[in-house]
Amino acid sequence: MSGHDSKYFSTTKKGEIPELKEELNSQYKDKRKDAVKKVIAAMTVGKDVSSLFTDVVNCMQTENLELKKLVYLYLINYAKSQPDLAILAVNTFVKDSQDPNPLIRALAVRTMGCIRVDKITEYLCDPLQRCLKDDDPYVRKTAAICVAKLYDINAELVEDRGFLESLKDLISDNNPMVVANAVAALAEIQENSNRPVFEITSHTLSKLLTALNECTEWGQVFILDALSKYKAADAREAENIVERVTPRLQHANCAVVLSAVKMILQQMELITSTDVVRNLCKKMAPPLVTLLSAEPEIQYVALRNINLIVQRRPTILAHEIKVFFCKYNDPIYVKMEKLEIMIKLASDRNIDQVLLEFKEYATEVDVDFVRKAVRAIGRCAIKLERAAERCISVLLELIKIKVNYVVQEAIIVIKDIFRRYPNTYESIIATLCESLDTLDEPEAKASMIWIIGEYAERIDNADELLESFLESFPEEPSQVQLQLLTATVKLFLKKPTEGPQQMIQVVLNNATVETDNPDLRDRAYIYWRLLSTDPEAAKDVVLAEKPVITDDSNQLDPTLLDELLANIATLSSVYHKPPDTFVTRVKTTVQKTEDDDYPDGSESAESSAHVGDGITSPPASSSSVPAAARQADPAPAPAPVPDLLGDLIGLDNNAIVPVDQPSEPTGPPLPVLLPASTGQGLQISAQLIRRDGQIFYSLLLENNSPVALDGFMIQFNKNSFGLAAAGPLQVPQLQPGTSAGTLLPMVLFQNLSAGPPNSLLQVAVKNNQQPVWYFNDKISLLPFFTEDGKMERTSFLETWRSLPDSNEVSKDFPGAVVSNVETTLDRMAASNLFFIAKRKHANQDVFYFSAKIPRGVPFLIELTLVVGVPGVKCAIKTPGPEMAPVFFEALETILKS
Amino acid sequence: MISQFFVLSQRGDNIVFRDYRGEVQKGSTETFFRKVKFWKEDGQEEAQAPPVFNVDGVNYFHVKVAGLLFVATTRVNVSPSLVLELLQRIARVIKDYLGVLSEDSLRKNFVLVYELLDEVIDFGYVQTTSTEVLKSYIFNEPIAVDAARLPPLGPAAIFMQGSKRMPGTAVTKSVIANEPAGRKREEIFVDIIEKISVTFSSSGYILTSEIDGTIQMKSYLSGNPEIRVALNEELNIGRGGRSLYDYRSSAGSGAVVLDDCNFHESVRLDSFDMDRTLTLVPPDGEFPVMNYRMTQEFRPPFRVTALIEEAGNLKAEVIIKVRAEFSSSITANTIVVQMPLPKYTTRATFELEPGAVGQTADLREVSKKLEWSLKKIVGGSENTLRAKLSFSQESHGNITKESGPVSMTFTIPMYNASGLQVKYLQIAKKSSNYNPYRWVRYVTQANSYVARM
Repeated sequence: MSGHDSKYFSTTKKGEIPELKEELNSQYKDKRKDAVKKVIAAMTVGKDVSSLFTDVVNCMQTENLELKKLVYLYLINYAKSQPDLAILAVNTFVKDSQDPNPLIRALAVRTMGCIRVDKITEYLCDPLQRCLKDDDPYVRKTAAICVAKLYDINAELVEDRGFLESLKDLISDNNPMVVANAVAALAEIQENSNRPVFEITSHTLSKLLTALNECTEWGQVFILDALSKYKAADAREAENIVERVTPRLQHANCAVVLSAVKMILQQMELITSTDVVRNLCKKMAPPLVTLLSAEPEIQYVALRNINLIVQRRPTILAHEIKVFFCKYNDPIYVKMEKLEIMIKLASDRNIDQVLLEFKEYATEVDVDFVRKAVRAIGRCAIKLERAAERCISVLLELIKIKVNYVVQEAIIVIKDIFRRYPNTYESIIATLCESLDTLDEPEAKASMIWIIGEYAERIDNADELLESFLESFPEEPSQVQLQLLTATVKLFLKKPTEGPQQMIQVVLNNATVETDNPDLRDRAYIYWRLLSTDPEAAKDVVLAEKPVITDDSNQLDPTLLDELLANIATLSSVYHKPPDTFVTRVKTTVQKTEDDDYPDGSESAESSAHVGDGITSPPASSSSVPAAARQADPAPAPAPVPDLLGDLIGLDNNAIVPVDQPSEPTGPPLPVLLPASTGQGLQISAQLIRRDGQIFYSLLLENNSPVALDGFMIQFNKNSFGLAAAGPLQVPQLQPGTSAGTLLPMVLFQNLSAGPPNSLLQVAVKNNQQPVWYFNDKISLLPFFTEDGKMERTSFLETWRSLPDSNEVSKDFPGAVVSNVETTLDRMAASNLFFIAKRKHANQDVFYFSAKIPRGVPFLIELTLVVGVPGVKCAIKTPGPEMAPVFFEALETILKS
Repeated sequence: MISQFFVLSQRGDNIVFRDYRGEVQKGSTETFFRKVKFWKEDGQEEAQAPPVFNVDGVNYFHVKVAGLLFVATTRVNVSPSLVLELLQRIARVIKDYLGVLSEDSLRKNFVLVYELLDEVIDFGYVQTTSTEVLKSYIFNEPIAVDAARLPPLGPAAIFMQGSKRMPGTAVTKSVIANEPAGRKREEIFVDIIEKISVTFSSSGYILTSEIDGTIQMKSYLSGNPEIRVALNEELNIGRGGRSLYDYRSSAGSGAVVLDDCNFHESVRLDSFDMDRTLTLVPPDGEFPVMNYRMTQEFRPPFRVTALIEEAGNLKAEVIIKVRAEFSSSITANTIVVQMPLPKYTTRATFELEPGAVGQTADLREVSKKLEWSLKKIVGGSENTLRAKLSFSQESHGNITKESGPVSMTFTIPMYNASGLQVKYLQIAKKSSNYNPYRWVRYVTQANSYVARM
């Protein structure tokens, strides 16, 4: 072999493709090999060399493995766009799968599995069957993975042809590599199947534990992760398992160590003997610490996991706090995580050392790190009562350096310390007041103002201090305005003299008349009313004793912690989020059968019935809204939301939405379905949306009424799609002037109405304070289009032909105009309307799309249009033509958006 | 299980891209690069992207090796340590095969790289990362790139810098490359590499000290002979449940006490408990035989003291002293001492000792850091730097708090702080005239070597 591969990248003059074609057909082997390399080079830089398909495939029949591998690489890339030509390669594949050379057999099966063309899949079955029983372990281990590939393309085929059984047999294979791949394949198939495919019995358990000792490091991870789902029968079995797994803690591969830790932690839950548990903790500590000697990337993962582990079992690393001290050259993401763990491990015994570290960090260069270090000192003060005084003296030392952001951060934490230990450390207020004029961050300002208001009676010049802030009241961020309002009221209640009285008038005026912020206005009105009707009551309310706070920042909710601990050594434990909040893998195979589409159907039926029971007033059957609702006037046209108000509510009240709620979708505001004028101050905006393959009812409830609302429940009337809530509506108590958004998961085909499909969705919402509200929504078909609606070109044609002409419906959209094909295609694709092909007809462009709605009803769509000219004609063919009107409505919204 | 693997240059150019499952959209490389380049979170100013993050349902993992970004994507809840470890290993395997890991070598050898990637990962599942095992499946040959002009990679690369005794090409030789004469040179490298972290308090006490060590091996021996590596006989593992605070009791006895250690999977420990020997048949390529960690007290190689004092209006003086506390037969090289100065420092003039050779001192304008570089320091010697600073504003008497800590990086060949030693290296091969080259090399590097002010 001569020269450099990179020469293949050099661009030739025109006629590159014909030149390559000639070389590919050369009679000389070396020339052909060089030519294929050039083709691959062109392919990797994104050039289209698919036209050479036949010529490249011709090179496939060779004994030269290097050349064969190159051709296979090419095939994987282009087979999808050239399915008919790919068939040409099948014979060679089948032949190769019987080659005397095991490498060629394995290569053939590996490559065929990567070519996701239906026609090839059929030919794959026989070779795969043979290779699963091959004499050579390299072939068997490749075949095991190939079963998972096939399952991803065609799950039924895998089940029908008995591949699952063959795969299970491989668990007992004598080659550990084969075992590991079989386990990996089965685990993946199980993830995507609703049937029990791979259940670990005590028998498989012992086999796998034996294989563990002989496996490669990666195989050990596959096996440990699969076994972590096993629930031991009793403490004795758990101890046995742990004993077999513990040696893995000594492995050099961090992934093996963490997976072993996960397994041990899980089994420990069952172990009752405290001696055994203590001993295990002792064994786990050094390997966990050793993870911190790995590359910083691994350290980060280890630290995120350790953070969870010490929340459950603080003793494991109680004596190791020193290893979490930040190194000078740690990346910032490692330093931040170390700080978090230092706070968690801080105790009366080590707090002096820890404070010394924090103090040092607080004078470093990185601003974010410094801030976090200052906060850490405050959090230690709140956590450890006996150390609070030492923490405060460190904070005061830091304030004296007069670095602006350090001072501000210190004031924020000192406010919390005052809340935690009332009437203890107020003597330092004078020192704090010295820094008053340097504060320029909202949170620090708000904290300082809170302190002044809270201790107005002890600060001689509290009124002067507050007054200095009042001058800039209108310009302040709302956080500061709210605090100023409250602090001024406190001052007035404590020192009802002339000065404060004037101040309160200025503030109340500013906060009611001069502001657009409903939070501020509402709070000001409440104070105003309180002060004017009953000043004593005002005192009771405003100056009431506050509950003592604890340091729960970054402490996870116990149920969440449980779930995360079960997911140690996975992404979930790094994000500190349950897997279902970020796993978005499109499960193409699952949705092939009808039942699988709604795996939780039975559960949701129960829960929606439960919701129905909860609605007390209408004594109708639990799944229907009373007739009155049906006859109700059509809902008033959605009132346009005033932009300003919408923005303010959206922004300012984020804090009120509970953190565990899915975040508000960013995008156009939801249409208002129940205006506040109709709902006695309760305004409901809602829309059906699709996210991560699921349908949700996105709701925004705004309480503009004078009372707090709680006990929200929702109910849907029978409708053409059988839409119903999959669970109870989770909305917290809504204080006046606040709002809450929520995503309510929906299920289909629960309460179907008879008659031709229409888009009416009748909704009832109730709460404990108001009558039941009924309103109408319009069902758009858009959220129903499933992710698996893409059709192969051939099956599209077949389906089109197989449907009678009576199933074809068409409609004109004279007003719609497509000015940019790309964006329209993108928009269609975003709604799961998949582009199939395009052709020219006279001066018009004709586009074909496919889409699918649940229960496998496909839509074949033909759009005829001239780019940039108004007027789009749409024809659809579908087994359910009665859906056409609803479909056209949906399409129109896409075309016109 | 991963979906895609790719390698990007520092500018974001796509060097290698392999999609294993077709479930992540094509634009992922750009999405990733944009996210990493402009990482922002929680209103923080520009920060460094963590190695794992999620954008629109796709999880991105990345590590930086030799100035390149090795990235993997997935949509499922995989083991992140597996993926990150895998990325490091892929880098190592590629380096083993290409000899050098660089943008240039990857581009020149793209066919070989793709061949490797197909054997390392199938449908997103790791198959093997063993250079040895892979040899039977790889048919392309590497094309050498000019190693001299390339930045070295990996811990063993430090041997290329100073010591002339080492054959510099050894570490950049591909495992499958043939020597020009067709004859392979029989040699084996065993490197004891220690990274030490020490924090001195302002009064010179040692606050924390730690050694992260690894015994790295790279074998070019033909016929895969068995090798025995003997370590110190007085070697204890585990602090026996004692806490960090009283480890001093074990010091002085001459024994080396490791907190924890782990071994490569090829290592057999049959006689380890008895005579502290490791037995192994080294696979091809570079690999760590043993990793260890130690917090036992040791003598730090350097004592650093720094002083900053106000010297009149808007002026201050800095004195930094570095004393080498190791034998005079040993020389440390590429020493850099850094010290952050107050933000309002405008000018610094430096005064090196008379007769100082190979030393430079500088004030980094942007970061306001003092930087003192020394080409070498001989054991037992002391070096001093004096600097006069000018300020643009008055300090509030907090000058000490606003400067420092002093940090130091260095490399000391043929020195190790832990005292762990390879007593002998035995190659089991019958022939009497078989005497391959054995290189046992020690080196100590600074990890986080800090003196507080």
